[in-house]
Amino acid sequence: MSVQFPKKLGYVAIALFAFFATSALIHSFLPPIIPKGIAAKLKFFSEHRDEFDTVIVGTSRLYYSASPEIFDATTRENGLPTRTFNFGIDGMHPPENFYVIEQILKTKPRNLKWVLIELEDIQTKWDNILGTERAVYWHDWARTSLTFRKALNPRGNANWFIKLTRLWLARRDFISNLMLFGKQFANIGRATDFLPSANAERFADAASELGPRGDGYRIAGDAMSAERATGFQKRLALEVSRATQKYLDPATESGYRNAAAQIRAAGAAPVFVVTPIIFQSTSRFRQSPPPAPVLAFNDARKYPDFYDVKVRIDDGHLTREGAENFARALAREFGHRARQP
Amino acid sequence: MLFVEFRFFWFFLAVFAVYWSLRDNRTRKLWLLACSYFFYAAWNWKFLFLIMASSALDYLVGMMLSRTENPRTRRGWLILSLCANLGTIAFFKYYNFFVTSAAALLEWLGLPASLHTLNIVIPVGVSFYTFHSMSYTIDVYRRKLKPVSSILDLACFIGFFPQMVAGPIVRASTFLPQLQTIRRFADVDGRGALVLFLTGFIKKACIADAVAPFVDRYFEAPWNFTMASAWVAVLFYAIQIYCDFSGYTDMAIATAGLLGYQLPVNFRFPYFASNISDFWHRWHISLSSWLRDYLYIPLGGNRGPAWFVYRNIMITMLLGGLWHGGAWTFVIWGGLHGLALVVHREWNRRTHSRQDVLPSADEMQKRNRPKNLRSVAGWLAWLFTIYWVCVAWIFFRAVDLPHAAPALRSFLFLPGGGSQDLGAWMLGIVVALAFVHWLNFRGTFSEWWRRLPASAFAAGYGCAFAIVLLFIPPHYAPFIYFQF
Repeated sequence: MSVQFPKKLGYVAIALFAFFATSALIHSFLPPIIPKGIAAKLKFFSEHRDEFDTVIVGTSRLYYSASPEIFDATTRENGLPTRTFNFGIDGMHPPENFYVIEQILKTKPRNLKWVLIELEDIQTKWDNILGTERAVYWHDWARTSLTFRKALNPRGNANWFIKLTRLWLARRDFISNLMLFGKQFANIGRATDFLPSANAERFADAASELGPRGDGYRIAGDAMSAERATGFQKRLALEVSRATQKYLDPATESGYRNAAAQIRAAGAAPVFVVTPIIFQSTSRFRQSPPPAPVLAFNDARKYPDFYDVKVRIDDGHLTREGAENFARALAREFGHRARQP
Repeated sequence: MLFVEFRFFWFFLAVFAVYWSLRDNRTRKLWLLACSYFFYAAWNWKFLFLIMASSALDYLVGMMLSRTENPRTRRGWLILSLCANLGTIAFFKYYNFFVTSAAALLEWLGLPASLHTLNIVIPVGVSFYTFHSMSYTIDVYRRKLKPVSSILDLACFIGFFPQMVAGPIVRASTFLPQLQTIRRFADVDGRGALVLFLTGFIKKACIADAVAPFVDRYFEAPWNFTMASAWVAVLFYAIQIYCDFSGYTDMAIATAGLLGYQLPVNFRFPYFASNISDFWHRWHISLSSWLRDYLYIPLGGNRGPAWFVYRNIMITMLLGGLWHGGAWTFVIWGGLHGLALVVHREWNRRTHSRQDVLPSADEMQKRNRPKNLRSVAGWLAWLFTIYWVCVAWIFFRAVDLPHAAPALRSFLFLPGGGSQDLGAWMLGIVVALAFVHWLNFRGTFSEWWRRLPASAFAAGYGCAFAIVLLFIPPHYAPFIYFQF
């Protein structure tokens, strides 16, 4: 060898150091590429941030169910007027929602009082969106470490031996999340965001993402077919029969506690929402007190109207009629809790 | 697994580290073979058996060819190998093409036809590894090569992962001797290989993948777009296919180089070719020289009357077109190039100048300087060549003839077309890329990095890679030549 082995290893170390240093430098200057639907909403919210005092953040279950128009009308009737923006996004599960909340708060909305966040478990699998910017943009270390913690201890009761076996059992989750973190850290494709064509495309769908009234709410589809309704009713009966109280896993709890703390630091108050999903178990925080009040609607016995097959699209979504009723119920519950000290 | 993916980086790191830590050549080859099969299995493990079967059969044919002097028996063994290899390609790539073409012909003749197509998955790189394989048996048959004594060598040659799925098409006579001698780490041009890999990475990930969405958008419905858009799309496609394929080749050569193996040069600035023959001395050289040695020359080559030579050229180019896939668009692409080669040869015959139609295998390895473009005639010849090449690309890219027709009309300045616009300003990107390519062609980037101190090179390389990653579009496009 012309150069000794340790010397060559030294050059590899120099190259790696230069790579990481350059990546970190670029990282601090260039914002991540936020996918078009989210970017459109974020842009709109940033431009109108002082007009809203309430933001609803969650998946399509809130996106298509929480109409700000009805929500605000109901809160006004109840003597607690609000001006709400729906920041629901299709498939925005935790920890992506934590990242988006951070971006919303970064716009420094001066009048923000309430942030309603959908409460659900942290996800670790992104098979459907792997290879897209949607999976990459929020994978900073804070969020990636949450996915690792979740993958290592999904139920919250794992001892060291189970954690050790989870390292192998959940290897795909670890690898895919680590890869996504790597892509986020290495700034892959960030410069392409500045191409005019890319930008045009990014905001092209803004109008549809913001919904017909421009408040972020989109109207959902039609009720499920009779055949699917039968299946739904069977599954619901099963879920009701085995409904129990369930503790959130430590990673999820930590994620929501952090998000609540950030919201409070920004001068607003967090409220957690569980939509009328088919799963009937109640989610509880391990540590008391919970970081924010929880408004849970996933109780078919308490809210039978939301589980009528005529107002359901599927296991998680409501029709227009169901969504309108849900928005009213949400506003009433919200008003009731908001008045409590 | 693609060369531009993260997982390839980890894969290659493991291959590289273990390979160079092994002392024995046989163990190294076993490791390489295992890694190559793993690389292929990452796409579809079921088709591994096809490669294994091809390697086993050609090993057997090679052995049998060495054991007999009887010309008829020898020819029989060769035919067996050719039938098996070409039969594999014919079934996977051309079955549906021939069935649908036959059905269309019968329908045209007014005869009832009820022929069935099959839902066939084409194995990645089938055309490449069968050509590798065939070069071995043909060379052994021609006594240009001694059969290998170990099946491991042949399996390694056919399955060597850098070149297995998209070339370059390596000859057994150039690669097998490399396998038979132990590679020394001291002989590896690490700096050259790393720069070549980065170059290929930029071509593929930053350029080809960046222009691909515009090309795809246009060719989805070319009748909707303006004439300027047609020009943007066709020129972008010319850039895309060059950067995609030559980028892959650069990375393949670099990867093999880091393991101590030399793969042949496959591209030499083809878009600076001064005529169509020159183009084929610069574009996909390993295929064009393969076609020359194993098809054009056996057909009669340059020997015989002019019409006979032209016939040979046309057959070679039509089959060369068909090699890319079972579609009439590829046949037309080959035909257009064949036609241009015939016209060019006739021109040369009348003006008493001479140039071989396709490059020889030896020429592949030479570093011939590109033809100069000093005279007006030279510029005109270049302009006409690149225009013709782009016209042919339309057929290569279009999914069928109805999609090719509007693109061709617009590219020939004929009226028609729609109102959608890709943005004529994007022709500026073509000019900018052409300028950078021209600087490279002049050798501006070729050697200065060799003069840097090792630590500066390492730091620069790390920085350069971090910057290059910024320009990768969010969606990877698969390598175009994987489908062939």
